[in-house]
Amino acid sequence: MCNGCKVKYSDYYSDNIYTWCTNCGNYAIHQALKRSLVKLKIPPYQVLLCFDIGCHGNGADKIGGYRFHGLHGRVIPFAVGAHLANHKMPVIAFGGDGGTLDEGINHLIHAVRSNYNITFILHNNGNFGLTKGQVTPTSPKGLAMNSNPFGLIEDQINVCKFLLNLEPSFVARTFSGNIHQMERVFVDAITHKGFSFVEILQACPTYNKVNTHEKIYSKVYDVDELDDYDPQNLSQALKVSSDLDNKIATGVLYFNKTKKDFYSRLPQRLNRNKALIDEVKNY
Amino acid sequence: MKNRFSVKIVGESGQGINLMGEVLSKAFLELGYYVFGYREYPSLIKGGSASYQLDISAQNINSSFKSSNVIIGLSRIALSQYLSDISDGGLIVHNVVKFQKSEAENHILKSKNASEEFIDTNSLLDKLNLNYRYANTFLVSLIWARLGFDVEILQEIFKEYFKERDDILENNLTCINLGFEEGSNQSLVEHGLDKPEKKANLEIMTGNEAIARSAIACGVRAFYAYPMTPASSILEYLANNAINTGMIVKQAEDEITAAQMTLGSMFMGTRAMTATSGGGFDLMTETISLAGMTETPFVCVLAQRPGPATGLPTWTQAGDLNLAIFAGHGEFPRCVLACSDLESCHRLTQQAFNIAEYFQIPVIVLTEKHIAESYFTKDTNFENLPIIRNLVEGKALEKLSPNDRYQFTDSGVSKRWVIGASKATFLANSDEHSEDGSVTEDASLAQQMYEKRMKKYTGLLKVIPEPTLFGKTSGEFLLIGWGSVKLSVLDAINFADKNVSYLHLEVLHPLDIAKLSNIMGRFKKYIAIEQNYLGQMSKILEMELKISFTDKWLKYDGRPFFVDEVIKYINKL
Ligand SMILES: Cc1ncc(C[n+]2csc(CCOP(=O)(O)OP(=O)(O)O)c2C)c(N)n1
Repeated sequence: MCNGCKVKYSDYYSDNIYTWCTNCGNYAIHQALKRSLVKLKIPPYQVLLCFDIGCHGNGADKIGGYRFHGLHGRVIPFAVGAHLANHKMPVIAFGGDGGTLDEGINHLIHAVRSNYNITFILHNNGNFGLTKGQVTPTSPKGLAMNSNPFGLIEDQINVCKFLLNLEPSFVARTFSGNIHQMERVFVDAITHKGFSFVEILQACPTYNKVNTHEKIYSKVYDVDELDDYDPQNLSQALKVSSDLDNKIATGVLYFNKTKKDFYSRLPQRLNRNKALIDEVKNY
Repeated sequence: MKNRFSVKIVGESGQGINLMGEVLSKAFLELGYYVFGYREYPSLIKGGSASYQLDISAQNINSSFKSSNVIIGLSRIALSQYLSDISDGGLIVHNVVKFQKSEAENHILKSKNASEEFIDTNSLLDKLNLNYRYANTFLVSLIWARLGFDVEILQEIFKEYFKERDDILENNLTCINLGFEEGSNQSLVEHGLDKPEKKANLEIMTGNEAIARSAIACGVRAFYAYPMTPASSILEYLANNAINTGMIVKQAEDEITAAQMTLGSMFMGTRAMTATSGGGFDLMTETISLAGMTETPFVCVLAQRPGPATGLPTWTQAGDLNLAIFAGHGEFPRCVLACSDLESCHRLTQQAFNIAEYFQIPVIVLTEKHIAESYFTKDTNFENLPIIRNLVEGKALEKLSPNDRYQFTDSGVSKRWVIGASKATFLANSDEHSEDGSVTEDASLAQQMYEKRMKKYTGLLKVIPEPTLFGKTSGEFLLIGWGSVKLSVLDAINFADKNVSYLHLEVLHPLDIAKLSNIMGRFKKYIAIEQNYLGQMSKILEMELKISFTDKWLKYDGRPFFVDEVIKYINKL
């Protein structure tokens, strides 16, 4: 992304001390994120990282880069506004399963529909972490947690399957226990032009006693391992994404390169080379 | 009333009332008259009754009379609703077949010595084999003739309007000629207006168009909104002009999104705006709080209509002052400005951006349906304010450090730069933070950062527009108001016999207490005029200035203050 830039892993270093639980999936996610940014030669001052409110958001000051830590459930529209103002800068947004699928699910649906060229990374740990262990739409039915002591009576949302039904531009699933896969998926997602959705099945050692690191690890496989998997085939993607119980498909599940991103579709921006940030005084 | 005349076209929504109002306005402008166009319409697409009133004068006017000298009626329901608005000696011309007046209606006409004339437009149009919807053009042309003006002016305006619709134009021209002929055979209507000087470049414009144009001129490059009356026409205007301006105009999925996108674009370093009405603003309040905390500039136009809930969607009020001042959790500095006319719509929009960027705070620009959708006459070009961004630029970018972003300063304002412009990266944090944005829960640091933000009020008070005093600088009565109240009060003062002054507030928050006390101290009695039930402005003044009002004239029926009722009120003082 940056011609001639020398980017080191340590460029993303922060002096602040992490406040996550021991064995939290977020550590590995940060590591994979930094590795992918270094691989893409993106220096910290040429990326905007936007965080939702939740445990993952508490890492906002533990990594380098231009960063915004906003409101619960609202990270997507903020990131989209930032992206449209400077479509030349990569914008990566992060949200938890609570903030994204409860409070802000409308934003997710519309971002897929509008196909804004940003990357969105969902930290799916199957519960509210920061507010100390309540259920979310991705918690399994029957799960007893703080707000549901008698067990969750509602059905679970399979996020990837749900989004694939919207004919998205890029959908991937990965696992916080696999740094290499996360790094590779992040690189693909950031490089993809359009709305790139990445779900991370994330271990929450403190509150998620059901889908533990070990349990997720025993179920996941990479679609690359399948002989005849075509990530450009939507029905195949829908099929493999459905199973969350026995064998969980991960990797880049689906992408569509023919879909134009929102900015490129804007008739008023055709033949205009500048970004909006360079036009305020020169309009 | 000397030097003012008013014509009201009434009918059902969908009968072309607005088109006739606009056409007639342009015809008057062509002659050099000023017009003020006031529209009433229900919140539905077809049916119900609607009106377009034109007040006309040789001098600049910005208000409506409650009563009209001429009423052109196109439907029975509309006539019953508006018949009582006829002025003394006025004329009602209509095409309602078998118009049976009630006893009350007869009484009104009699007591006002008004005349009512039926024109059988149906038979006339049948003869021409034309659709009945052309009755509006016919009647407008008939009145134009009876006012003694030239038919060519009307013809030219229609030609301009329908230059791409030959068939419609032809039918309209036929109706104009016929209506004019008919009208010329009837008695003249005395309008009593002075002959205006012919002026070049008069145009009619709504308050919303003035805001939209001002935004374009001050470098707003993105506009995000969810449609809501009476803010929607800003979205419409900007969208219609997007190809020329290159502005990104996006109808968002809701107001939460619109506000967040606006904030995101501003954070990145461009200028972006959003506009909504009360209900949509409610959804934006968390974002306004976020703007306050992260010190990100934010500008929102809040176009008021009567509430609560859905309220009266297409009517006017100024009842969201408290909302604008107090919206959002926590305490943070903000600025609330209120428009009143075209000039202030233009100036305050640009000033809102300068203030928002300079102080890195949210700014709310209040307007009202009566300003947003009324048609004003524009006779001058408004000057654009210099664009003040307060961004670090050029070589200085290389010397920045992350701590500069929220550095403690005497003014509370720290350095801000376009994202990506410097190697000094930082975090903008909705959690309480230290100078580089890193989270903190340290008591003294938290208190210091809190105070840093609030300190901005000191500088803000030095740059906000001063309250304007109209009339004598001292005396018995001082009327005080904000928003559209100014329009009818200033027009009324010109006609009233009493010597009163009017103090107009453009900045509702923060208040410059010293300046206000200084001005108000020279008067004995204060009278608040407000378009809401609680007297929201006057309550704040009472609280901040420890004064009391002799009277508060509060109106909250969805209608603006009409100039005739203001004159009556002033004369009774
Ligand atoms: C509007 C609003 N409602 C509620 C909260 C409280 N809150 C903070 S974090 C959180 C849930 C976080 O869960 P999730 O999004 O799954 O992220 P995680 O902590 O698991 O990473 C909630 C409800 C808030 N900050 N804002």
